[in-house]
Amino acid sequence: MRNLFAQMNLLSKLSAVWMALMTALAVFGWLIPLPDPREYDPEASAAGLFSPGHLLGTDAGGYDLLSNVVNGARTSLLIAFISVGFGGLVGSAVGIIAAYRRGRLDYVVSTGFNILLSIPNLVLGLALVAVLATSSDPSVPIASNRRVIIIIIALTVVIIPILGRIARGATLTWINREFVVAARSMGMRDKDIIVRHIVPNVLPAIYSVLFLAVGVVIVAEGALSLLGVGVVDGVSWGAMIARVAGEFTYAPQSMYVPVVVVALTVIACNQLGDFLRGRLDLREGRI
Amino acid sequence: MNSLTFKFIAVLRRVAQIVVVIVGSTLFVSLLLQLLPVGLEDLYVFALDEAGRQEQIRLLHLDANPVMFYLYWLGDFVRGDFGSYVYPTGVLDPVAPRLGAALPISLRLVVYVQIVALAISIPLGIFTAYRSGRRSDKVISYGLFTAASIPNFVFALLLASFFGVSLAWFPPLGYTAPGDGFVEHLRSMALPVMALAIPTVATYTRLLRTDVIATLREDYVTMAASKGLSNRRILFTHVLRPSSVTLFTSAALNMGALIGGTLVIEQIFSIPGLGSEIGLAIFSRQYFALQSYVAIIAIGYVVFNGIVDVAVGFVDPRSRERSNA
Amino acid sequence: MSAILSIRKLVVNFETPRGLLSAVRDVSLEIEQGSSVGIVGESGSGKTVMSRAAMGLLSGSTVRREGTVMFDDKELTAMRADEVRDQFGTGMAMIFQDPMTALNPVRRIGSQLSEGPRVRLGMDKKAARARSIELLSLVRIPDPEAMLNKFPFQLSGGMRQRVMIAIALACKPKLLFADEPTTALDVTVQAQILQLLSDLRREMNMSMVLVTHDLGVVANHTDFVAVMYAGEIVEQAPTTELFSNMKMPYTEALLKSIPKIDSASGARMAVIEGRLPDPTDRPSGCGFAARCSYVQDKCRTEHPPLVDAGNGHLYRCWYPLGHTIGRK
Repeated sequence: MRNLFAQMNLLSKLSAVWMALMTALAVFGWLIPLPDPREYDPEASAAGLFSPGHLLGTDAGGYDLLSNVVNGARTSLLIAFISVGFGGLVGSAVGIIAAYRRGRLDYVVSTGFNILLSIPNLVLGLALVAVLATSSDPSVPIASNRRVIIIIIALTVVIIPILGRIARGATLTWINREFVVAARSMGMRDKDIIVRHIVPNVLPAIYSVLFLAVGVVIVAEGALSLLGVGVVDGVSWGAMIARVAGEFTYAPQSMYVPVVVVALTVIACNQLGDFLRGRLDLREGRI
Repeated sequence: MNSLTFKFIAVLRRVAQIVVVIVGSTLFVSLLLQLLPVGLEDLYVFALDEAGRQEQIRLLHLDANPVMFYLYWLGDFVRGDFGSYVYPTGVLDPVAPRLGAALPISLRLVVYVQIVALAISIPLGIFTAYRSGRRSDKVISYGLFTAASIPNFVFALLLASFFGVSLAWFPPLGYTAPGDGFVEHLRSMALPVMALAIPTVATYTRLLRTDVIATLREDYVTMAASKGLSNRRILFTHVLRPSSVTLFTSAALNMGALIGGTLVIEQIFSIPGLGSEIGLAIFSRQYFALQSYVAIIAIGYVVFNGIVDVAVGFVDPRSRERSNA
Repeated sequence: MSAILSIRKLVVNFETPRGLLSAVRDVSLEIEQGSSVGIVGESGSGKTVMSRAAMGLLSGSTVRREGTVMFDDKELTAMRADEVRDQFGTGMAMIFQDPMTALNPVRRIGSQLSEGPRVRLGMDKKAARARSIELLSLVRIPDPEAMLNKFPFQLSGGMRQRVMIAIALACKPKLLFADEPTTALDVTVQAQILQLLSDLRREMNMSMVLVTHDLGVVANHTDFVAVMYAGEIVEQAPTTELFSNMKMPYTEALLKSIPKIDSASGARMAVIEGRLPDPTDRPSGCGFAARCSYVQDKCRTEHPPLVDAGNGHLYRCWYPLGHTIGRK
């Protein structure tokens, strides 16, 4: 780990530090004494930076922005990490097995990926959340907790074909290499070949995309909130953005905090993904 | 068999693939309605007497099994009946005219973005490729990387607050149809187009830069130089042609991201396009309409990519070779 | 006879992340008017970089070139880029190893062929087309008119190489650089192309630099040979002199590695043991010492100078072949 950090250029180091900081806020943020993110301060509406009691100011509704950033990190990163982790796991497993077996299974799986990818990922996520988050009584909205779970499910479905296609493509480049053919000719079982020979070689390609996928999910969470189906009345970065988007004509200053936090996080994810991709290219170049 | 026959077979195969994906994606969307935690009957059947109920259930095909339900939808869809908003009074408000009003606005937005993005990224991509490794290239490339990472709604909010509210150069919200004054129309589209174009420019420029750098290393470029051709001539006749195929293919593939982007951007700028229609359909729980909207996006995206794919096959002689092989 | 191309103390370095890579070290060579000169060496010996640097075709911010190159009594190395460009086509031209990569894949043969005459000779469309057809028949291509409308991938390797030769000859150059012109071709086609080049050279009274790894090729098609190793010329002589009175162990090793054309597989069997020295970290002694079967202690520590053996024969060896003194 320390080795990896030492190899990074300045921007990648800053990105790693930023992601570590956000993750730490998500995990330990509740220990910091901050105002309740859902409690509005009637004295301070749309307060600027460094206002008394509100380090990052408040939005037009009087919600403390720092508290929302810290507590929103928990929701937004939870959504991002779980859907990318689970979607990545399922997608890679299916992609690797399909590519290894070839034949009909591969045709079905890659057609399935193509079908899911034919719907732009935000539209797919939107449709899934809209349908799953329908409550029987329109006057009683779905609770935030359940919405978070629904969003995770929807974005997992979005991530599966993205990573699945990459895992499938990477596997196809490895299955005809001499060491795989050799293992097969020695009578090694398929399961062992996949685990010992394919997976270790495909993993680096997947790692670099995982970070990009975290970025995609964070953007999607924001976009879903803007479209009115995010964690609407909950505490998340997307919810913050949706609130400030409705208020920017009269409280533009409170917009910068959530917008900058989300932008920096996505930039950091892409930078780290790019760094890993570069290392991967170097490694492949040496082979 | 001659090469034309091969080409024809390749096109047929591609068309078959497209049909499979379209059927798959529309079926998927149709099956989504079966996942609703609420019964469709509870959502859309409001008649009080039993006879009226049965009548409405039959009308909306709610008694059909999922596959038949899809086939009824498909039959209507290909005949231009995209379903309806169903109101509690039992009134059906057809989706087609709404779509007819909203879709052209979204398409305009996407086309404007593509034009602006290509017009900026082509010269910028060439410039950075020729300067590759120099300071100006490094600065621009890092800037573009950052811009490509920033979500378009971030640009939308920043642009709206800066150019729309603080400077008031452009209207921060709303849409003017071209019929009501073309200049006003362009002004109303300026901020949404910019918000979508900035990350797009970044993506295209990076692509073109990489591609031109690779092309400049090709022997045929050295060969062209050894003929005594000027740099300008080499650029236009030898470098741009192969690189532009890559760029236009990626621009086509990027349509999906742009369509997704317009949903959010329309919402932010209150533009009455497909994105706003979808938002409205979700908000008012009109899932028959949603089904058709999503299906139209998927079909449009798949068909468009298919056309570009085949077109590239005709424009780029190298891919003809591949389909012959 | 005067020299058409004269290279003096040419040095080419590349800046790399691992430091300066010395590709060509202090090369001097004269190419006489109307002659055919072979430049021979393994891949990585610097022969391609040397010939491209001499033409002024190496570009990029990482290239460092020193020394002077005179072409047709004009100093190329003192010219601006656009002045060098004016020498191409009509003065110097080049053909490449792989015609597949050197022909633009997305443009028709006709447009690639007429480009030179139109831009460099100012011909109109009609004249350039006539010239293209003339050139294609010159390189013995049947049905040249049909050829104009084809794309490179529609041709066989041999045909592609003929097209590339036609393109290079389009503006009647005085000097032709041929960089491994036959390496990518079948053995039988190789012989045809080399014969074609030799014939055309005589017909057009042109000078030629033939860059190759194959001593067998230069034996039949050149008047003079320079052998390169690790960025230096290690032996140079008129062709007949070189083959009758070889001095350099490296040249001998190269000669032994020539495959027999009639051998069953046609594949290159014999190779020289060992590898070229690291170009970013040249050894202090003779670069070939680690691989030479006649190596002595002195070879490992002291860099051998170029020695004149008379008859235009130079070599770079402490213990040349044909001398028994000091040899084990």
